[in-house]
Amino acid sequence: MARRVAIVEDDFDQRENFRDALQKSGYEVDTYKNRPEALAGMRADMPDLAILDIMLENEMDGGFDLCRDLRALSPTIPIIFLTARDTDIDRVSGLRLDAWDYLTKPLNMQFLSVRINSLFRIVDSLAQPASDEKDNDTLKIDDLEINENSMSIRWKGEELSLTLTEFWLIESMARHPGHVKTYENMMQITRQSYVERNTINGYIRRIRNKFKEIDPEFKNIQTVFGVGYKWNKSK
Amino acid sequence: MRAGFSIRTKLLMVGLLLLLIPWMSYVYVRDMKTFLLSGQENALSLTSRAVATILHDRPELFTEDRIITPDDSDENEVYALPLPAYINLNGDLNDWGDQANQAITYRPETDSMGDTEVTSISVESVLGYRGNFIYSMFKVTDDSVVFRQRGFLRVNTADHIRLTLQPPDRPEQRFTIIARESGRMSIYLMDKDWQYPITGKPNYDLAAELGLTDEGYNVELRIPRFMMSSETRIKLQVVDVDDPDSLEIEALVTTTPKNGNDDFSRLLVKSPEIAKILKALDRSDARIWVFDTQKRPTAVVGNIISESDYTKGIKPSSNGEVWATLSYYYTNTLQTIFSYIIEQPSADLKDLNASVQQRNDAIIERALAGEISTARQPSLDQRGSILMSAHPIYLGDEIPGVVVVEQSTNQVLGQQKEMLENVISVTLLVLVTVATALLLFASRLTLRIRRLRNATETAIDRDGRIVNQKLLAEAKSGDEIGDLSRSVSNMLERLSQYTSYLRGLPDTLAHEVSNPLNVVNSSLHNLSEEIPDSANSKYMERAKNGVNRIGIILRNLTEAANLEQAMQSETREVVDLKELIESYVDGYNFSNPEQSFEIVINSSRLYVEIAPDYIAQALDKLVDNAIDFAAPGTAIVFKARRLDNFAQIDVINQGSRLPEGMAERIFEPLVSLGRKDAQKMSLGMGLYIVKLIASFHGGDVLARNLLSSDGVIFSLSLPIYNAHFGE
Repeated sequence: MARRVAIVEDDFDQRENFRDALQKSGYEVDTYKNRPEALAGMRADMPDLAILDIMLENEMDGGFDLCRDLRALSPTIPIIFLTARDTDIDRVSGLRLDAWDYLTKPLNMQFLSVRINSLFRIVDSLAQPASDEKDNDTLKIDDLEINENSMSIRWKGEELSLTLTEFWLIESMARHPGHVKTYENMMQITRQSYVERNTINGYIRRIRNKFKEIDPEFKNIQTVFGVGYKWNKSK
Repeated sequence: MRAGFSIRTKLLMVGLLLLLIPWMSYVYVRDMKTFLLSGQENALSLTSRAVATILHDRPELFTEDRIITPDDSDENEVYALPLPAYINLNGDLNDWGDQANQAITYRPETDSMGDTEVTSISVESVLGYRGNFIYSMFKVTDDSVVFRQRGFLRVNTADHIRLTLQPPDRPEQRFTIIARESGRMSIYLMDKDWQYPITGKPNYDLAAELGLTDEGYNVELRIPRFMMSSETRIKLQVVDVDDPDSLEIEALVTTTPKNGNDDFSRLLVKSPEIAKILKALDRSDARIWVFDTQKRPTAVVGNIISESDYTKGIKPSSNGEVWATLSYYYTNTLQTIFSYIIEQPSADLKDLNASVQQRNDAIIERALAGEISTARQPSLDQRGSILMSAHPIYLGDEIPGVVVVEQSTNQVLGQQKEMLENVISVTLLVLVTVATALLLFASRLTLRIRRLRNATETAIDRDGRIVNQKLLAEAKSGDEIGDLSRSVSNMLERLSQYTSYLRGLPDTLAHEVSNPLNVVNSSLHNLSEEIPDSANSKYMERAKNGVNRIGIILRNLTEAANLEQAMQSETREVVDLKELIESYVDGYNFSNPEQSFEIVINSSRLYVEIAPDYIAQALDKLVDNAIDFAAPGTAIVFKARRLDNFAQIDVINQGSRLPEGMAERIFEPLVSLGRKDAQKMSLGMGLYIVKLIASFHGGDVLARNLLSSDGVIFSLSLPIYNAHFGE
């Protein structure tokens, strides 16, 4: 059965374009143009994944409110924010609401389906009972454990709560410790259309903070000024 | 601030216009003086006419006929005898004629000397008069005549004569008449004890002459009548000193009658009829003369030396009140000022008899010719002037005499002075008050305006950002300055609204453009999915390219706003700038091997507390900018050094220079220099971001042209981390 993706977007053109693109990628798509409609629709028929715009018609934070309501209905549903608002505050509030990802417009449509795919893989792996296969797909570098299937990362045994983009960034750096990932590389890895260095810096900053919550001494991600970042093995 | 006069100076200069008031008063008072003087002249002229009218057609007045009319009174009386001729003062008593025989012999009062010894002195004395003079002769029999010795200040150490006048309304006047040798005698106004002259100057109104005789000496004394009113009482004494060594007074001979303790006498003089008439016209401030055809004065009454209440302030004692001292100096200062601008009434007119006659000559001449004339002449001491009016006296067609009335202008001058003094005192007071008030007012005004200016200047910082939207200075004042403050506040508020609108504009714009751009983007994607051929079209490629570029523009526009927010949550760390720059250049070389760099860092370590990512980002922007403008093949130079409490990073590129005035503006948002590559965007946000990052770190960034060659230097300064030096 095809997975069902719900799109909440008040702009007709974009909504329809997303629907066409996603249908072509093989998903069933529900579209909603505002918060009350979306809430009513999804309450009746819960989708497998929701893509939310933040500004909905005249509600400035309609997307955030909707996200909160959806979480109440289903604690596990993957939620992606897709918005023109690109401020740290918005990102932080979005992610605090347990959204799985936060994407900014304009968006590369190819990458959108890649993302959705990846998210469904995570959902699938989470749905499977924790079993022996854990080790098979796990990459271990010192204290870092990367599970490709569930797209989860543990540091010193504790799991980090990461967005998809953050997972990809850590994974790409850690896979080749000591090698510099340039900004250009990392922009590709985020699988968004236009990413500034500043945005990359923001990602790394948030990633470091998440590690430091677990381990205040965390220092493995090193800035290579003017170029990018690299993962250093623990000494 | 442009140079110019301050408000205070201007107000004070306007205040100086008040000085016109005393000038105005001066002009007014001067005119008034002219008016008063002409009035006085008229009055004087009328007086002379009136006097002359009384004297018309009375031939007997000009004859020499006189009768003594004794007065019935209890007072001592002494008679002055009419003299046949004017006495020639020479010590020779022959011209006294028969009257000399009427002399009475006086001897010293034995009881006053304390012994009964018969002294060697006796005095024959008589009083007489002629014309306007009273004469007295003394024929002294003295075995030892002692003259005044040279070098002796005291004047009671020789034979001398004492004259005491006792006017009814004034203190006694004491004169000592003394001789150094035979001839003209010296006459001094004396103190109470008859020891010293009050002034060193002799009196010339009186005159006396001494002549030696076989028995002793003779003295002739002349007293002008104007010195004695009819009420004035007189005492004459001859003092005898015999021993030239001890110089003690041997005897005192009083030659005027004495009655008990009262040793003053009224002098009875037969007044000529003319004088009697004039007596009725006696005025305290005017003198009336009658001259005969020989221009000799026949009669005179009055005195132009009026009692002046002109008194100098007395300097108060040192411990006196402050106010008294102040007012003393104030008055003195005023006097000094007045003495320069107006004529002063004189305290004493040196009114010499002989000179008076001389002075009157011209107008007497004219009056005798039948002409009524007035004249004004300076008094002899040059300090005041004397008004004179002459009128002929008619006897039928003849003119037997002339009336001359003299009056000093002192009164008018006094009034003028008093008025001017009042006006000027008041004006000075007003001037000082107004000037002080103006000064205070202007100072306060200046202070307030300065405060407002300072508040206004600090409301906007060096980079043109509005720091305070509301000025506190003068905001509550009700006047125009308060209004100004409020309208500046208002202006700032609106300006800051506008600025924040402008600052938000890129963000809003980007946000609004994002959605349609997303439509285009997703449509292109769907199009290439739907029509696979179109995916390969070069136009599809270009369209995607264009969308990309718009996307980059949008990111650029929002970058600054996002950065500002992001930096708030950034944690700083202490970093060695030298290391950072070196690794930055390493990294940059790694990604851009074709661009060469040069690093010039002399100091060993430069610790700064920064958010390294952002500093790297700022360096990115500076290097991007430097590369854009660097001449091909030249290296970009990094310098780092310590300047006081700042670490300064210079990024230098050879190439074109900054246009005039651009160095300041280049860090403002949306200000950019043109770029070489049309495909590369320049929104002018890059250097603005550098500025934001520098300010966030408490540092600054500046741009300037190289001095030595064509090129530009960007200097980013950051505060040195202090803990390394404090500990």
